Amino acid sequence: MSSRRLILATLVLLALVLVCAGCSRKVVRPDMPGPPGMAGPYGPGQLTEQSLQMVQAELKVIYFDYDQYALSPEAQAAAQYNADVLKRSPNGRIVAEGHCDERGTAEYNLALGDRRSRSVLEYLTGLGVDPRRLSIVSYGSELPVDPGHNEAAWAKNRRVYLRVSQ
Amino acid sequence: MNPRSGTHSESCHVLPSPQPSHKGRKGRAGFQTRPYTLQAVYLILFLTFVLVAPARGELVIPFDNPNRDKMPLAVPDFVSEAPGALNGSALAGILKNDLHLTGLFKILDNASAPSQAAAADPNFEIWSRAGAQTLILGSFRTSGDELVFEGRLYDVALKKLELGKRYTGKIRDHRRIIHRFADRVMERLTGIPGCFSTKIAFTAESQSRELFTMDFDGHDLRQMTQTQTINLSPDWSPDGAAIIFTSYLNQNPDLWKLDLTTLQYHALSTQPGINASARYSPDGRHIALSLSAKGTPKIFIISPEGHIIKMLTSGRGNDISPTWSPDGNTIAYTSDGAGTPQIYTIPVGGGAPARLTFGSNYNTDPKWSPRGDLLAFTARVDGRFQICTIGTDGKDLRVLTDKGSNQDPAWSPDGRMIVFTSNRTGQRLIHIMDANGEIQVPVSRVPGKTPAWSRNLK
Repeated sequence: MSSRRLILATLVLLALVLVCAGCSRKVVRPDMPGPPGMAGPYGPGQLTEQSLQMVQAELKVIYFDYDQYALSPEAQAAAQYNADVLKRSPNGRIVAEGHCDERGTAEYNLALGDRRSRSVLEYLTGLGVDPRRLSIVSYGSELPVDPGHNEAAWAKNRRVYLRVSQ
Repeated sequence: MNPRSGTHSESCHVLPSPQPSHKGRKGRAGFQTRPYTLQAVYLILFLTFVLVAPARGELVIPFDNPNRDKMPLAVPDFVSEAPGALNGSALAGILKNDLHLTGLFKILDNASAPSQAAAADPNFEIWSRAGAQTLILGSFRTSGDELVFEGRLYDVALKKLELGKRYTGKIRDHRRIIHRFADRVMERLTGIPGCFSTKIAFTAESQSRELFTMDFDGHDLRQMTQTQTINLSPDWSPDGAAIIFTSYLNQNPDLWKLDLTTLQYHALSTQPGINASARYSPDGRHIALSLSAKGTPKIFIISPEGHIIKMLTSGRGNDISPTWSPDGNTIAYTSDGAGTPQIYTIPVGGGAPARLTFGSNYNTDPKWSPRGDLLAFTARVDGRFQICTIGTDGKDLRVLTDKGSNQDPAWSPDGRMIVFTSNRTGQRLIHIMDANGEIQVPVSRVPGKTPAWSRNLK
């Protein structure tokens, strides 16, 4: 019996170690929920981890036309939907991550991604989302979700992803 | 002292230390102890030779070389006193590759070279008949891990020794020694030293995004950071002691500084938004970069410690990628304030921006030539990106590349070459080319982007 408990304890410990290893801060992966407890201007809310993940799952990615940072009608509709989600769940902070497709030069894409995330941030605050919850990060063309070199891939990469955290 | 002829062999210890001992022609130890009148006589003699020499049909390559006539150059295999660790053909190959890349030389085929004994004066008639206008002979010997190399540059028509240099160092530094000699050859022939002892920094692509450096010709590739995150846009400090770069170490594109001696890095500018495309001023006393902390990316000037001095550009456009003129008085940059990304210039002291590019609806990544007269940049042409140059007066636009898609140009410190990225081989590799775009070769073994060329360090 005790050897079984030992094995069980070891397995639980191993599982914990693996989970902690997976929470490495430095590895950047596109469009996945970030680790909890990031520092920022808005204090930690009363939400549990589960609620944050539910909010994250509801939010839509906002897509952009080539070389554009203004919101198209489709983008506006997605942003409107997101604003409603965020106003219903008033806690939790959001980082608007701006991205570009691989065409275009690296530095200008950094500026374009920054502008895209600001466009979304402005639109959301215009619809009543508390601006203290929102911040932006541009990744330029450095973090595509689709590594393909075709129109379909590029369209998926021109986006703003709203990442939820505590 | 006759500065124009005779073997001029100066010993240079080429060690890893930053200040190898050079004794220049004018810095001879005994010069200052002579009485003034004799000094004046020597000075007048020296100046006479310097001023009169060009009229004698002296070996000189005009920098701009409008006819693009290449100087026929012969470089037979270097000769060793005894067989050893180094191969004379390989050593000569390093020199030939350096000079070939400038686009200024027609390097003659060795098959036509007459045999040449190690220390003897060359047979100029034979070389002349072989078609050579210049001739470089090299000899070397190794002992243990020590290397002594002697190189001589001859004017074949005038049957004259133009340059003689002798280097001592370690065998493992043989590339550095040959590059140093090639720099002197360029200085002798054009008045401007070569850039063959310089390095290129870049950030890798795909799996690793770390900062790398390599010799300008791709050798000695070194990983400089272990950030495990995305890095971008390195820039060398003018004194070669540091590299600044944008990194996502703190989950935001911040500006970081890498000390090249300790390989430690610390954050320099961590404003919210982007801290991107940072470039040292030519005197190293300022950094220009793009910050979006005030809402839209604008060009700012900050101190080398990261303190904001002023905002240089204004308006509704996205402004990024500043580049300094060599005199430090003007900055060119990319802005889409007019609707599409174009290149503008603005006085560093403040003033109205002037638009430089009009041809394409996408012009980015301006880089000011160290010679001051040209800007290199990336332009979208027929759906692909190409490296272009344009005069600072907005005239003489040239498209230098046409294979694949090409971006991120940067100049060598002598303004003779441009480094850039190209996907023409299937991967995005770092390439270099001469400033006319005649010779274009890949140099990096790993995919990379945003290359930066170090300054020349003496």
